[in-house]
Amino acid sequence: MGKTDVWQGTLALMILKTLETLGPQHGYGIARRIEQTSGHKLLVNYGTLYPALLKLEQEGYIKSSWGVSDNNRKAKFYQLTRAGKKQVEREAREWNETTAILARFLSPDEA
Amino acid sequence: MRPLRGWVRRFAALFRRTRRDGEFSAELDAHLRAHIDDNVRAGMTVEQARRHALITLGGLDMTKETYRDQRGIPAFERWTRELRHASGRLRRSPGFTSAAVLSLALAIGANASVFTVVERVVINPLPYPASDRLVMLDFSMPSRNIPSGFNSMTAREYFFYADHARTIDSLAAYRWEDRTLTGETAERIRIARTTPSLATVLRTPPEIGTWLPNAQRRGAAPSAVLSHGLWVRRYGADPGVVGRTVVLNGVATTVAGVMPASFVFPDAGVEMWINEPFATSNDDDYSYTGVARLRDGASLAEFRAEINQLARSLAPQAPGEGYEAIFSTALTLQDFTVGQVATALWFLLGAAGVVLLVACANIANLFLVRSDARQREIAVRRALGAGTSGVAGYFLAESALLSIAGGALGLAAAGAGVRLLVASGPALLPRLNEIRLTPIHAAFVLGLVALATLAFGLIPLARIRSSSASLHDSSRSGVGAARNRARHVLMGAQVAFALVLLVASGLLVRSFVKLRALDLGFDPVSRLTFQVGLPPSSYPDRDRIVRGHQAILARVGALPGVRSASIVNCVPISGRGFCGGAPLFAEGEPPPRNDTVRPIVASRPVAASFFETMGMPLILGRGITQADIDGNSLVTVINDTLMRTAFRSDNPLGKRIRLSPHRANGAPLWFTIIGVVHATPTIALAEPRPAPQMYLPMFAGRDVFPRVDVMTYVLQTSTPPLGLAAAVRAAVKDIDPNLALAQMRTMQDVVDAAAAPRAFTMVLIAVAASAALLLGIVGIYGVMSYAVSQRTSEIGVRLALGAEPGAVMRMVVRQGGVVALGGIGAGLAAALAGGRAIASLLYGISPRDPQVFVVMTVTLLAIALVACWLPARRAAAIDPITALRME
Repeated sequence: MGKTDVWQGTLALMILKTLETLGPQHGYGIARRIEQTSGHKLLVNYGTLYPALLKLEQEGYIKSSWGVSDNNRKAKFYQLTRAGKKQVEREAREWNETTAILARFLSPDEA
Repeated sequence: MRPLRGWVRRFAALFRRTRRDGEFSAELDAHLRAHIDDNVRAGMTVEQARRHALITLGGLDMTKETYRDQRGIPAFERWTRELRHASGRLRRSPGFTSAAVLSLALAIGANASVFTVVERVVINPLPYPASDRLVMLDFSMPSRNIPSGFNSMTAREYFFYADHARTIDSLAAYRWEDRTLTGETAERIRIARTTPSLATVLRTPPEIGTWLPNAQRRGAAPSAVLSHGLWVRRYGADPGVVGRTVVLNGVATTVAGVMPASFVFPDAGVEMWINEPFATSNDDDYSYTGVARLRDGASLAEFRAEINQLARSLAPQAPGEGYEAIFSTALTLQDFTVGQVATALWFLLGAAGVVLLVACANIANLFLVRSDARQREIAVRRALGAGTSGVAGYFLAESALLSIAGGALGLAAAGAGVRLLVASGPALLPRLNEIRLTPIHAAFVLGLVALATLAFGLIPLARIRSSSASLHDSSRSGVGAARNRARHVLMGAQVAFALVLLVASGLLVRSFVKLRALDLGFDPVSRLTFQVGLPPSSYPDRDRIVRGHQAILARVGALPGVRSASIVNCVPISGRGFCGGAPLFAEGEPPPRNDTVRPIVASRPVAASFFETMGMPLILGRGITQADIDGNSLVTVINDTLMRTAFRSDNPLGKRIRLSPHRANGAPLWFTIIGVVHATPTIALAEPRPAPQMYLPMFAGRDVFPRVDVMTYVLQTSTPPLGLAAAVRAAVKDIDPNLALAQMRTMQDVVDAAAAPRAFTMVLIAVAASAALLLGIVGIYGVMSYAVSQRTSEIGVRLALGAEPGAVMRMVVRQGGVVALGGIGAGLAAALAGGRAIASLLYGISPRDPQVFVVMTVTLLAIALVACWLPARRAAAIDPITALRME
């Protein structure tokens, strides 16, 4: 199985979870982290990453500010807001429920 | 609400886009550098690292585009872009743009202004609560030859109806009177003498103070309520006027209150309401007008039926007075107030609508022509992947801009139009002074604008969709038959609409001309008229009244520039009922079985030389002389209507007649007929049946009917009549400083004022017709010019193959002429079918008057052919070589 683009709808949760784990992070860092976490099975398309970040910011789940990266370069850092933290919990719970239900369908011997 | 918050931010992001774009570039740049750093750390050379990072990052511009879409509102941005481009395109074709905007502004302005007036005057004319329950009492007496429209009743009727009618909540009666208000200056004002129930019927409380008291204490001063206008004009809007005493015809009257400015009843001319009680005894005095409020659940028909029944049961109380001949023709106050004007205004609104249709057809045609010329551009857009919505955006953006510009200009024009209508409208239009352009009317304009946008924008779109426009055929200069058909239908429709309006305006002009050519029975030129009322306080008896009038007449008759002077109770076309009318009796005829079949005759007491002064030629006999006045002669001059009514073909001279109130000491008072004159209009200009009239010496002894304290003077002048006004006022003031003159005007003004409502309608319809004609000409010319330009090469080939230029011209003119003829046919059919709508506005001609139809059809056809001929001439002048090279 080659690398797949990240699925629509799950990217927002991945970004939020990444920011929850790592704290403030810039776009490049988020992308690398998602790729690493997926064991390099996912490829984050930058054309979808930045619009997704912008959408989360517009909705008030994350906020951004300019800062300096580890390499001493200027970069825009994103971090969770309070609403964002709640949103991670809620979405994670919903996702777990969904996958649990789907799992039952996909393993018929447990029925 | 997260999504809402998102949208708010996206909307905010529409602004300061350059800065935001720069910021995103910086962020992407940082991203790229971080990636390169990583790659270098992983062991690549700097060059390899950069290449790898750029490849992974993918299309930079595409990312930016997606980012922008998420940041802002893409649809909005696309629209602003479309609008920006469209405005650029429109600026580049000023001819098209100004033609479209002006057509639209004209049509929208006309519609909005007429709609504003219609809304105020016709739809919503009465400022009283639940005004749809208000009815005016109106009667007909078929057996006395009186049609409906006789809105007078006796005081006996009023009290009886008020006590017994069950279908109404309340009833009020009033009558107009002119009285002299004295104080620092004497002033003649119009008042309504009314029952106190008027405020109950109309449910309108006073602005300050109280309304007229219901019961007047015996011997107490009468009460008056002032109009807002009089209060401001004469008393400087001083609230302290309430409770003060004013002197009216020499009688001290207490001011009870002031009515609000919106209270204009029975009309805007009334400046005061007083509660002088009515005398119940005089059954001949049909001088009170009634207005009632229907009880909830009662209908107008029930009210009429009840009044008919009550009038019958009144007959035994006053036998021989003819109450059994009365039939109620009561009508709603709204119909009464706006009546004829409503018809004219609705018609006008229809005409404005037709102008809008013509303008729409015009603009649609312009758009069609434009869309044909833009085929190639559209095809390129399509080829580059624009969907239907993209192409729709192209046209809708243009039409939206044009409609907005047209709407804004139209709104400005409507503001001016309303002012013009108000300024030139007949004075009797109710609530005219309140007419303003309000948000409702602006919303009406916006609705028109929205409709116009959709209509014009979608027409070319429909054509684009139906014809599979593509790059390869868009460069050809042939024009599809379907495309031509659409343009021709629009052009034909314009011709048809224009013809309908032309015929309507022709009919109105012709009936106006007929009306003005009407034999009035008198000569209105060089005649000045004014009214003088002698107040009973200084002129308590008939003797003093007679001497007062004689003195004034002698003084004004001797003024330089006055050729002759006389007096009458009401001049022709005075607009106020019969002005003294009563049943006629002729001597020697058998006593009638039933008094109710006697014709009602208008009674006109006059001074000497009345007929010379008015320019009324005598048909038979002689006029009333000073000797008749001085000698109290019982003589009379009748008009030809009365002669025909009472004497058929017999010679009436020497016969004796009287009206029912003509009695002295119980014995009948007979007047000998000494002359006959032509009938003059009594109330309005075009009366279907002129009223029978008798003229008698104004001071003819005994109990004169009608009263002579308020009289109208007529002066025949050798200089311009109004130039004498100051001298006349000074002369009257010199005789009695407490006298005031009212209604000083020329007889020509009286006639013009009576014709004014018709003139108003006629001028406006003529303006509408001219606008439609102008738009129609532009439309025909535009379509034919375009057709010729599209066929340039074809015509070139024809000419090259030896066709005569004349033949080419004929071909083009024939093509346009056929369409114009089709339009004329449709227009004629519509005008013939719609004739009934205009019939009530016409005078003396049929709505199918052949002369008007022929003249208008020929005129329109000639103009249409000229509009075709100009492009045809250009076609014939085409140089075949140039035309073929263009291909």
